[in-house]
Amino acid sequence: MRAPRRTPSRAALRRSRAARPWLLLTPALLVLAGLLLYPLVRVVVISLQDFSGLRAVARGTAEFIGLANYREVLDDRQLWLTVLPNTVVVALVAVVLTVVVGTLAALLLETLGTMARAATTIAILSAWAVPAVTGTYIWIWIFDPVDGLVSKAAQFLGLVPPGGENWFLDRVTFFTIVVLNVVHHGFPFVALTVLAGLLTIPTEMVEAAKLDGADAWRRFWSITVPMLRPVFAVVTILSTIWDFKVFTQVYLMPGGSGQNREVLNLGTWSYVESFGQTEYGTGSAIAVVLTVTLLLITGVYLRTLFREGEL
Amino acid sequence: MRDGAWRGVALLALWLFTLFPVAWMVMTALNPGATSGGAMPTGVTLENFRFVLEEGGFGRYLMNSALVAVGTVLASGLLALFAAVAVSRFQFRFRTSVLVMVLIVQMVPLEALVIPLFIQARNLQLLNSLLGLVVVYVAFSLPFAIWTLRGFVAAIPVDIEEAAYVDGASWTRMFFSILLPLVAPGLVATSVFSFITAWNEFVFALTFLADDSKYTVAIGLRNFFGQYGTNWGAVMAGSTLITIPVMVFFVLVQRKLTAGLVAGASKG
Repeated sequence: MRAPRRTPSRAALRRSRAARPWLLLTPALLVLAGLLLYPLVRVVVISLQDFSGLRAVARGTAEFIGLANYREVLDDRQLWLTVLPNTVVVALVAVVLTVVVGTLAALLLETLGTMARAATTIAILSAWAVPAVTGTYIWIWIFDPVDGLVSKAAQFLGLVPPGGENWFLDRVTFFTIVVLNVVHHGFPFVALTVLAGLLTIPTEMVEAAKLDGADAWRRFWSITVPMLRPVFAVVTILSTIWDFKVFTQVYLMPGGSGQNREVLNLGTWSYVESFGQTEYGTGSAIAVVLTVTLLLITGVYLRTLFREGEL
Repeated sequence: MRDGAWRGVALLALWLFTLFPVAWMVMTALNPGATSGGAMPTGVTLENFRFVLEEGGFGRYLMNSALVAVGTVLASGLLALFAAVAVSRFQFRFRTSVLVMVLIVQMVPLEALVIPLFIQARNLQLLNSLLGLVVVYVAFSLPFAIWTLRGFVAAIPVDIEEAAYVDGASWTRMFFSILLPLVAPGLVATSVFSFITAWNEFVFALTFLADDSKYTVAIGLRNFFGQYGTNWGAVMAGSTLITIPVMVFFVLVQRKLTAGLVAGASKG
């Protein structure tokens, strides 16, 4: 009589212990599933439908048309001549500059004394903390064609005709300002992460290299870079993801919300197609293209993490 | 000596690059001439701040943003803490899969979700409501919060928990009396991050909110472009009101947050 009674209670105990992590996880997983995964599936479904106009929105579904939206997007000259270069080239330039500036800042921080390093860290953090929205407005104001600081200075020096020049109209100058904004916002993360990595390099190693007569340049490439390879991999990949999907910094710029089609990138194009033209199907197809690109980059990121055994 | 001079120049350039935009924002906000397009400071005034708060209705936007951000912090903090305890204190099947999934969803470009979430919110009558934004922001801040809190929880020695069990505490008792107080600093740091996410978010606020009275700060600023031409004094005063709280929070917690991530990396 006793044994059968004890066995189920122990099993029940074990079951309740096994259930506890899932009990704790369920609320979070439900939210993530309902608000991130389900919409992710939904955006793929919509991209396969003739989903346009507010009627389709009200019904929540539309007729399936296969890959027509993708064909439309891929056949669009705008994609190849404007949108992709605006996305890929801008991301590449921004990533390279972000990592270079961040690394230089980290190397500089490492040489500073405690007080100077703390003060400079706070300065760098405050650049990081500027919200994308206000940061973008600040750069627009600095480059304002009529009253902006840069315009005033350039007019004073006679570099541009009086009355100023509108840098927001030209694609190259437009994205130069975007890159400046993105690098300003993104390099602090790289600087502080690389600094944390630099501080883990044993000083004996550097001292030994100095004794062997290696100069700073040589030490950087022969010690710092190989030692910090995983750190550089992570900051480069994360910066790539962030810079590929930059939206606010482009959308808020003058002409960036669709008026000037020369300056669309994948993110803003998708948004303008959907909410400007109510072509949700096409917009979703563009969003899927962007997502797939980013997931591929994420795959590389995960593999790097796994190789470092961080999980 | 020459080396030192170069370092000085580099340091100056770094300070200028990092701080100038913010300094320029504050200078313009305080500049009485900025309303009529003057760039160079001509004096110091609080007129631009008075204008945005009283005539521009910015107080309302600040209130809306604060409501949304606090709602997000409370909900995502609670959910993330439970999830973090689950993944760092229990060994169970699919534990690694859950962690990897959390990491992957963090990489999903939120801009890609704006179309389906807009349709979902419309069908659930959550458009143009602050609650709708809170629900969405909780989902956005959750992956990072779980990932970070996991580090803080893992850093608490298991021995302390076991001592509580030896003293006869139940799991629930242990959770509230031991784990929660110890993880509180991490919870604060993570909450600040969720707060900032909600406070700064732009795309969804832009898409979801139609009514001026529901605007959050990130889109409320746009009013000073349309309605009054570009009043840069007002835009920069509004930007200052948005930026400064975030900056103070951020500088205060960043160190703690990195500490949590590092702890998670070595002990998770």
